[in-house]
Amino acid sequence: MTAPILELAAVSKIFGTGADAVRAAQSISFAVNKGECLAIVGESGSGKSTVANMILGIYPPSGGEIRLNGTTLPASRKLEHRRAIQLVQQNPLSSLNPRRSIGASLRLALDVHGIGARKERADLVGGLLEEVGLPADFARRSPAALSGGQCQRVAIARALACQSEIVVLDEPTSALDVLVQARVLKLLNQLRETRNLTFVFITHDLSVVRNIASRIAVFEKGRMVELGQTEDLFANPAHSYTRRLISAVPVVTREEDALRSSLAAGLEETTK
Amino acid sequence: MSAPTLDIENLKLGFKGYTGYTEVLHGISLSVNPGERVALVGESGSGKSVTARIVLGLLQELRAARIEGRVRFEGQDLDSLNRRERHALRGKAMSMIFQDPTSSLNPVFRIGDQFHDVLRRADPRITRDAALGRAASILAEVSVRDAVRVLNAFPFQLSGGLNQRVMIAMALANEPALLIADEPGTALDVTVQAQTLHLMRKLVEDHHTAVLFISHNLGVVREFADQIYVIYKGRIVEQGPTEAVFDGPRHPYTRALMAAVPRLTGGGIPDIDENSPDFGAPLETHEREGRQ
Repeated sequence: MTAPILELAAVSKIFGTGADAVRAAQSISFAVNKGECLAIVGESGSGKSTVANMILGIYPPSGGEIRLNGTTLPASRKLEHRRAIQLVQQNPLSSLNPRRSIGASLRLALDVHGIGARKERADLVGGLLEEVGLPADFARRSPAALSGGQCQRVAIARALACQSEIVVLDEPTSALDVLVQARVLKLLNQLRETRNLTFVFITHDLSVVRNIASRIAVFEKGRMVELGQTEDLFANPAHSYTRRLISAVPVVTREEDALRSSLAAGLEETTK
Repeated sequence: MSAPTLDIENLKLGFKGYTGYTEVLHGISLSVNPGERVALVGESGSGKSVTARIVLGLLQELRAARIEGRVRFEGQDLDSLNRRERHALRGKAMSMIFQDPTSSLNPVFRIGDQFHDVLRRADPRITRDAALGRAASILAEVSVRDAVRVLNAFPFQLSGGLNQRVMIAMALANEPALLIADEPGTALDVTVQAQTLHLMRKLVEDHHTAVLFISHNLGVVREFADQIYVIYKGRIVEQGPTEAVFDGPRHPYTRALMAAVPRLTGGGIPDIDENSPDFGAPLETHEREGRQ
């Protein structure tokens, strides 16, 4: 058994002090294995984004530790740590600088982290664009000239540019149309396999998670209430909140109706 | 048989811009009968929201917009009305629910005062106390128990789910014949969204309100609507009773759209083209029972 690439040990986050303190994350522990896609699922206020932000080092935990490849990450991250863990955000139009060309945005990531020789970097940018399914000459365009799906592909390319090992995906497809979403999810799966990437996939969409994650962590009000293999979690959710969450998802087929009503039936039994 | 509540016939819309004339609706037809819940489903840019705005008579105010075709509301041609008459319909005979409840309620007035304003449109002489009483009884119908606190609150003091329920109650306060709902609940958490849709469905059933429901979410539409129209790039591509369309989608675009929705029962991410020349295929109609 290999050691996990990322480990959270009793991580907590408290915002504010005294009576106003908000316990946004309470004693969260889980490990992410290299090459897997772990999903963190929850509703607003569940603490899923707080945990993502702590993994990224945007702010340090109030308690507990986060380990990358076995070493504890310091409160202020070194360049090397920032290179290893990258982020793809929900709204690609606002996460790319509108004044900078696509090429310049990607180039910046290469420059900051010193990837490749200076002369090679223009070619690397083209290669990255092709890797995410865009023509290399998109480098000259500005974000405004791209569709939402294309922008999200650029954001993914930027997260890959510095040879990251872990990508935190914060609702990467929820702003996209459903046909575009399918294509982007397909691309993410493909990149994870070819580059042996590790994904931490933050979302509220259980239908997406069912089809892309190997394991799922369910968050409610700052606590992790359940963590399990995707198949098991859907077949037999242990926590009543997980059941409630799955049975509330609007679905499009009769098979899904059946799954939902079987979970909802279990829910009524437990509350009686 | 009475006239449909809403009847749209060969509606075209175009905008004059710097680069010339752009047509965004290429002749769409749809109808909503009294008490019927009809969904218009499509992706961003398909023309679903502009259709709603034409029905409300809002785009007619825009000088750059060119509108052709016929929109009849309870048998009356909207073109035959002047601005004031169209204005009189809004909020009384037809009303709208918007996507983000918290930002579409006025942030500087209490919920109670906003209810008073809404009710005054139907009855200009209604007193504040009478309006608050009426508001409390409609709020009770959307399961808002502590109506006194809610009516005294400003929108930012309430949760998104509560604001959405307030908006549904407000939209139905004057017993409109037609309710237009543009992506209701999209901004909400999934458990709250399910609850909100359930309440909204019950309320429009009880009041026999016709609904034009605009959404990109196929699952939500399946749960809410009796009839659906699938719109793609300004054209209706498939129409019919909800169950028939979901059980046997015929148009290539509808099929692709349905296949692209990730399934709760698994099966992986399907391989689908974002765009295909087949999507331009002609309209597929599933026959309605008891109608032509």
